[in-house]
This record gives sequence, C-alpha cells and structure tokens, in this order.
Amino acid sequence: MGSRASTLLREEEIEEIKKETGFSHSQITRLYSRFTSLDKGENGTLSREDFQRIPELAINPLGDRIINAFFPEGEDQVNFRGFMRTLAHFRPIEDNEKSKNPTASEPLNSRTNKLLFAFRLYDLDRDDKISRDELLQVLRMMVGVNISDEQLGSIADRTIQEADTNGDNSISFNEFIKVLEKVDVEQKMSIRFLH
Amino acid sequence: ERHRGKRRDGDGEKKKRKKRRRKGAHRAEEGEDEVQTRHERREREKRRRAKNDQEAKGRERDEEERVQTTSGKVAKTKKNIRNENTRRRVEEEEVEVEERLEKRKKKHGSAKKEEKKEDEGKQMVKEKEREVKKKKHKKETSEEEDDKEEDSKDEEMRPECLTPEELEKLKEAVDERKKLIQSLRGKPWPMKKKLVTLRESQEFVEKYEGALGKGKGRKLYAYKVMMTKKWMKFQRDFENFKTACIPWEMKIKEIESHFGSSVASYFIFLRWMYGINMILFGLTFGLVMVPEALMGRPYGSMPRKTVPRSEETSAMDFAVLWDFGGYAQYSVLFYGFYNNQRAIGWLKFRMPLSYFLVGVGTVAYSYMVVIRTMARNANESGVGDDNSFNFSWKMFTSWDYLIGNPETADNKFASITTSFKEAILEEQESHKDDNIHLTRFLRVLANFLVLCCLAGSGYLIYFVVRRSQKFALDGLENHTWWERNEVNMVMSLLGMFCPMLFDVISTLENYHPRVALQWQLGRIFALFLGNLYTFIIALMDEINLKREEEKIVKFNITTWEASLYNGTISENSTAPSITINPADVPRGPCWETMVGQEFVRLIISDTMTTYITLLIGDFLRAVLVRFLNYCWCWDLEAGFPSYSEFDVSGNVLGLIFNQGMIWMGAFYAPCLPALNVLRLHVSMYLQCWAVMCCNVPQERVFKASGSNNFYMAMLLVILFLSTLPAIYTIVTIPPSFDCGPFSGKNRMFDVIHETLESDFPAWFSKVFSYASNPGLVLPFILLMVLAIYYLQSTSKSYRQANVELKKKLQTQNEENKKKNKRAALKAQMDLEEARKAASQAAEEQKNNNASLQGQEDRQLLASRAPGPRTYHHGNHGASGYLPGFSEPRMCRVPSLQRH
Repeated sequence: MGSRASTLLREEEIEEIKKETGFSHSQITRLYSRFTSLDKGENGTLSREDFQRIPELAINPLGDRIINAFFPEGEDQVNFRGFMRTLAHFRPIEDNEKSKNPTASEPLNSRTNKLLFAFRLYDLDRDDKISRDELLQVLRMMVGVNISDEQLGSIADRTIQEADTNGDNSISFNEFIKVLEKVDVEQKMSIRFLH
Repeated sequence: ERHRGKRRDGDGEKKKRKKRRRKGAHRAEEGEDEVQTRHERREREKRRRAKNDQEAKGRERDEEERVQTTSGKVAKTKKNIRNENTRRRVEEEEVEVEERLEKRKKKHGSAKKEEKKEDEGKQMVKEKEREVKKKKHKKETSEEEDDKEEDSKDEEMRPECLTPEELEKLKEAVDERKKLIQSLRGKPWPMKKKLVTLRESQEFVEKYEGALGKGKGRKLYAYKVMMTKKWMKFQRDFENFKTACIPWEMKIKEIESHFGSSVASYFIFLRWMYGINMILFGLTFGLVMVPEALMGRPYGSMPRKTVPRSEETSAMDFAVLWDFGGYAQYSVLFYGFYNNQRAIGWLKFRMPLSYFLVGVGTVAYSYMVVIRTMARNANESGVGDDNSFNFSWKMFTSWDYLIGNPETADNKFASITTSFKEAILEEQESHKDDNIHLTRFLRVLANFLVLCCLAGSGYLIYFVVRRSQKFALDGLENHTWWERNEVNMVMSLLGMFCPMLFDVISTLENYHPRVALQWQLGRIFALFLGNLYTFIIALMDEINLKREEEKIVKFNITTWEASLYNGTISENSTAPSITINPADVPRGPCWETMVGQEFVRLIISDTMTTYITLLIGDFLRAVLVRFLNYCWCWDLEAGFPSYSEFDVSGNVLGLIFNQGMIWMGAFYAPCLPALNVLRLHVSMYLQCWAVMCCNVPQERVFKASGSNNFYMAMLLVILFLSTLPAIYTIVTIPPSFDCGPFSGKNRMFDVIHETLESDFPAWFSKVFSYASNPGLVLPFILLMVLAIYYLQSTSKSYRQANVELKKKLQTQNEENKKKNKRAALKAQMDLEEARKAASQAAEEQKNNNASLQGQEDRQLLASRAPGPRTYHHGNHGASGYLPGFSEPRMCRVPSLQRH
C-alpha cells in the first residue's frame, strides 16, 4: 500500500510537504495511503462526508468543528497538501526542534499553533473571539439535552468570567492561552504518527 | 570568478560526500573501498603538493579532501603529522595563510565589516566557503585550540574503524552539539555567528548521528534504536496492563461516569474493604485453618472434634448446616474444634500461640491500615490545586479525542455532563447566601427532631431487649412468633424507616449535599450503634448462661467419669484401658463456638437481607415501573414510584457495620473473613449490575472527594467499638475447659507466658517481665502521649499557615484580575468618550463651517495657534479624559486645512 501511495506521490511534492510540515518521508507516504483510503470519490480530494466516515470524528461532539478545520474557508474539498497542513498541528514537538531555526517562521506544531487550532474549534464565526453564544453552542454539542439551558448559560457565564481579563465578555486568543497555560498542550495535542 | 569556481567545487564535494554516505548506509563493506580510495587520494594529494600548485582552487579542494579522508585514523600521531604537514604548507603559502587568518578572525566575530567589503552578490558562495575554511583552519590551529575543538576533530573520522571509546567520544560530541543547538538562542553572539554555528552544528549532528549507525557501530545503533522503541512500547503496554490489573477499575469508572463520584466512592470503598478482607482471610486461612486441618488431629479423634451422639442423626441435614450446626460446628470453621496441644505436626507448629497471635494481628493490622489510609487521605486533601480556571478547563479540555467506540463516547458524554453538574452545584453552594437566621433555626429544629427520633428508638430498643430477656427466662416455647423475634424485627424496622425519616428531616437543613450526606451518615450511625449494643448485650447474657451451664457439666463429668471407672472395674478388671467412642463423652457448652456461630449467622442473614432488598427494592421496582408504565394511569417513571436512587449512606454504613461484625467475631470463628470476602465479591458484581441496570443518578450529583475520610473515621470508630468486646471477653472470661486451643488455661493470653517460659531462653522472659513492669510502661505511655500532643499541635499550626498562604494567594489573584478589568474598562470608556468627542467635534466643525463662513481669518489663526483649539476642546467637556488622545485633533486638522 505504501509503495503504491508513494508512486502516486511525486518526490518533489514529498519534499515540499516535508519542508512545510516537518513530517518524515515515510510518515508522508503512510499518511498518503491513509488519505487515499479515505478518499472514496477517488478524485484526490476529501470531502466532509469522507471525514465523517471516521468513527472517532463521527462520535466526537466537536467532530464537525474539527472537520471544518481541515477545509479552507468557503471550500468543501481538501487536497493532500491541505490535509497534511492540518495534521501537522498534531505532530509532537521533538526536543531538537525547539530552537531549530530562530528566524524561520514558527512550525505548525508549535504550542501557539496548537492552541490556535483549538481556539478555532470554539471560535465559530472566526472573529478571533469566543463569545458567550459560541460557548453555548459548543456546550450544547458536548452535553446534549442533559442540562437545562439555564444551567448551560451559567456555565458559559462562569467560563467567560474566569477567562475574561479585559472585560469584553468574550475570550480572546490571548486569554485562551492564559487559561490553558498550565495544561500540557504540547503533549495532549499530539498524535503519535507512525514513522 | 574564483568564488564561483569554489562553489562549484564545493558542490561537487558535497555530492561526493552524500553519495559516499548513502553508500555507506547501504553497505558496510563499502567502507573498505573507501579506505582504499582515501589512500589513493592522499597519494594524489602528495603529488600535487610536490607540484606545489599555486592555484587556490585546487588547494582548497585538496585540503578539504584531506580533512575528510585523513580523518579515518584514530591515532593522534597522525593528526600531529598532519599538523606538521599543514605547517609546512603554511610556510610555503604565506599569502594564503594570511588570508585565512583574516577570515578566521572574521568568523570569530571580531571583524564583521570585512565581509561587507566583499562581493554582496555572492553571499551564498561565501558562506559555503566559510564553512570550508573553518574546517581548514581547525586543522591548522589544532594546537592552540582547546579540548573541545580537538574532540570535534576526532569526530571527523570514519566511524567504521572506531573503537568503542572513540564511538563514545563521538556520541558525546554529538550530544554536545545538540546541547549547543538548544542553548544557542540565549548566547550573546552576533546573529551571523549564531546562524553559522547553528548550521554547522546541525550538519554535524545530522552527519554523525547517521554515521554512528554505519559500519561496526551501525548494528549497535540500530539495536539501540530498536530497543528504545521496544522499551517505550513495553512501558506503554505495561501501563495499560497495570490499569487492567486494578480490580474492577473499568466497572467503577463506568459507574462514575454515569452516577458521579459519590456513588463511585462507595464502590471504591467496597474495593478497599475487599482488599483488607483478603489479607485478613490470608492470615486466618494460612496460619490457623490450614495448619489445623493438615497437621492437627483428624475429625473423630477426640470429643471436641466429634459430633455428639445426640446430634448425630441430624448433623448432615441442610437446615442444621445452614444454621452452622452439625458437622459445620465441629470443623475448623469454629473455635471449639481446635486442640490445646502445644505443637502440632512434624513442623512443631505452635497452634494455640498462632491462633492467639493471628487474632491480635488481624485487629492490629486493621488499625494500622485504617489509620494509614486516613493520614494519606488527609495529606491529599491538604494539597489543593489551583482551580481558578475550573470551568474553562472543563469546557476546553474535557473531551478525549481518541475515543472511537460509541459506547465509550456515551460514557464520556455522561461523565462530562456529570462533572458539569457537580461543578455547578459546588458553585451554587459557594455563592449561596440565604436568610441566615432562618437556616440556623431550621437546622436546630432538624437536629432536635433527629435527637428525638434517636432517643425514641433507643428507648424502644431498650424496652424490647428487656422484654425479650424476660421472655427468655420464661422459656421461648411459651410465646408467639412475634414475641420470640421481637428484637430482630424492631431492629430491622427501625433500620428501615429511621433513615427515611432522617432524610426527610435533612431537607429542612439546606446543607450542601456532601455535608448533608455526612450528617445523614452520622445519624444513621448513631442508630446502628443501638443495634450493635443490643446484640452485644444479648450475647453477653448468653455467655453468662453458658458458663453457668458449663459449671454444672463440669461437675457432672467428674461424677460420670468416676461412675464409668467404677463400672468398668466391676465389669472387667483385666482391661487396662477403657475405649469410649468420643461421641459419647459428655461435654461442656463451649460458649466460644456459640459466639462464633452467632456472628456467622448474623453475617449470613445480613447478606441475604441486603441482596433481597436489592433485588426487590431496586430490580423489581425498576421492572415494574418500566413495564407497567405502558398501561398505567400516570407516568410511573417520572411520577411517584420512579426508579430508585443509589443510597450511598445506607450502603456505606451497612458495609462498615458488617466489617465491625467481622472484627468482633473473627476470633471465635476463623471462617468469618473468608465468608466476608465471598460476600464482598458477590456484592461488588451484584451492586455494580444493579446500579447500572435499575438505578437513576441522583438529582443533585456532587463531588465526593472529601467524604472518603469520613467513611474512614466511622470505620475507625466501629473498629474500636468492635474490638472492645472481643478484647474484654479474651481478657476477663476464662476459656471453656474442654474445647478450643486455650482449654485448660486460666485465661487465653496465658499462652504467651507459656511460650515465653518454655520456648525462649530464661533471660528473655526476664527482660520481658521487666519491660512489662508498670514502672516502665507508664512513663513510656506518658512519653508517647506527649509526643502525640506535640506532633498534633505542630501539624495544626502548619495547616493554618498553609491555609493563610492559600488565601493570600487567592486574594492577590483576584485583586490582579479586578485591576486588569478595571483598567480595561476604563480604556474602553476612554475610547468611547473619545469617539463621541470626535463625532461631536466633527459635527461642531461642520456647523462652524456652515455658520461661520465669515470668520475664516480666525479659523486660520486657530489652525496655526494651539490656543483656540484647546478652547474648542473645552466645549466638548471631554478633554479631561483625553490627555493625549489624538482622535479629535486628527479630525479637526483636515477640516481646518481645508480652509
């Protein structure tokens, strides 16, 4: 399978993806075979339905949000490059990477980028702020109908009250970072991709 | 021109190098070839040197080649030779050297400007060149450079012909480079130098990390990598395995996710209890029951080990066995079966001593475990974590993204919901401030009511017990069924209805559910104590009765023996000894076995009651509610009967009292721990199933973190209360004369004296008797009390300090937050004011423009002088807020400029 995938994938492309995402050659080919197996339409791109066939995403309350994160705004197809770009957020941070290139732009799997990815999951309207309504929507996805709206509202209020430092009744990215300061995001938002 | 040439050269070199590396990676034997080519190259080089080629290009390449190729050998001597060579060459090519030195200086950061002088367009070329040169000058100046540099030189050797030491060094150097890369950012160097060093180091690491895997070292390296991977996988698996090994962990987690931590805490407590009982079981089974069964005298060999003649016919009946009479009574399960022989079997196992020590040991172990667990729990609760972002964390981090199983996902949903509910409740409770006087009044009232209940039930128990004693004196046969079972029935009824009453009363109090649970537990505990008290009283009465009986039997036996002796003599004077079937020998009542039987029966009936109430109260109710709901006039599920909730307090107390019974009875019935293990095991599965199948989560789910120690405290009280009667009977009542391991002794603990005297040297018993002298024991106890007091007070002060510090931290945090918020709000207000002012100003300006067309001169003036402008600001009244704010001005200026 891997060999078939790598024949479909041109060497230059792999190089480019490698540079962009930091995945190793074998990881890329492996992920490409996964990509092609997900691609039921066999047109080299994935649609939302393709993603929804993944059981982990299908049952995840935030699954739709995660799937959304794969698609650039306004599009409903994602090619392998885009796929890899999103996956790169979940690459573990390796020790020797931490200060690799001080001048180069931050790698996709840095702590900030990981957090930004998580932040975008909650920021439904992409205005770089998590408002109370957005929190409520996400909460509803997470707990369903088991908790009354009133209680959900109080949870959202409390969350904002905790996190909000500048008094605008919404959570900005900086506040989000502050909230998750003590959470081991590097470890939690990493997937062990096979080598 | 020259640079370009070099670049080409350099590229060529690189390609070669790459190719070589790749080859090396593929085939190890390639290394030998390389050695050969290296020799060839060196030859070529020498020839060239002989030619004394002046061309810089060629030389450069030469040197680089040399750098690479000569590095294959280990010996320092070679390096020295090389150095000499180089020096010779240096002499030859003075000009070159000078240039190089210059560049070296440059590289060390002392002369950056010189680079600028050079051709800017060929920056890339230069960089490569610099790399090359660095290597070169390293060779040249090896003597001046420090150890580290030398190390790095060593590493340029081919790895396949390295000794392990060399490999080690190489590894060290690679590690050093890695460290350098990491700490580079913090170094106070110019950027260019950093970049160069970084690139160089990275290249080095890349090259030699891979190179470590070539040739001889390759296998080792591959092996190592493989082993680390295997090791990591093993660790991961081991972690999984460890979790899988914790008994019932998955079950409890599942329950926790659906019913919250309070229900789960009961099951965790149950599991903990199971563990303790396993150990008690191990002790009694391994040290008492098994030795007696294997090495003691067999059944039927003596009167105490035989079913008496009168009972023989019914000894195998199920009803008798179920009551632990018949063969069950005359077995290792009970105290009476054991013989008072000092040592049994070929091991010379000291049975009576072992029996006594196990009895003491189980109690001591239980005390130790309970107290240790309490201390650990207290420690854990003392270290509070920072939960200022409680909700946010729950919100953003609660979902486990690796869940792929729909059932697990359901559980996760449930647990998130539950945890949110718990958090909401905590939050509400902490912010609740009702009418304090009303609450206080209600609480006092509730406590009064509860006290009334307790007093009433206490009196009822007392009354019933007195009555039953009277009945017992009259003889039970003359009374009705109710009168005979009055005590038990009253106890059960009280145990059933009083908790409900307490529950109703506790709604008055309006406590946080966790506190309410503790109150409820405390009250039911008091009620159950009455139960325990009646049971012990009844038992003591019975013991006294049996002892009276024993006295009579003892007297009878002597006369019986005498008559037997006389009879045989008269019948057959030749027979030297008389053989009587042990079943026919008359015997005492053996109160110890009776006590043991009572406890065993109690445990059995208690267990049965628990299971039956579970099946009827929970399962049957759930089934009825579920299926009758289709054809009923009101909604059964939402309405009156509904499904039952899991009763944490009742179950915990049941468990605790059950354990108390075990502790009390284990001395007289060694089988009790085994029975209890069985019971706990079954109830674990049964209750887990019942909870998941027929209970609904409590309406007010709460976090049970704090209540664990409360359970423990109650357990400790019960442990104390249950050891008291056991110790009392052991110490004060003389054992039966014809049954049990201590028969024939005045007191049970005499076995210690006996052992000390006969099994230990004389000096030991002397020391022991001195040590047990009250003059020594009392001061020791005093000392211990003092130490406890001291430790207690210090720990209290520490705790206080801790709480103070925590409070301080929290207030500071809140203060900071408030300050930030205030500042932010103010800034926002300012902004708004400014905007308003700006729009006002713009409007005003428009007005001015419209109305004051004629006053152009003045406005022109205004545009030049700042005075009038400030005057305008004064009009808006917002200037006080805008000390440096430029927006209005910015609006004005263009409008002014228009004129």
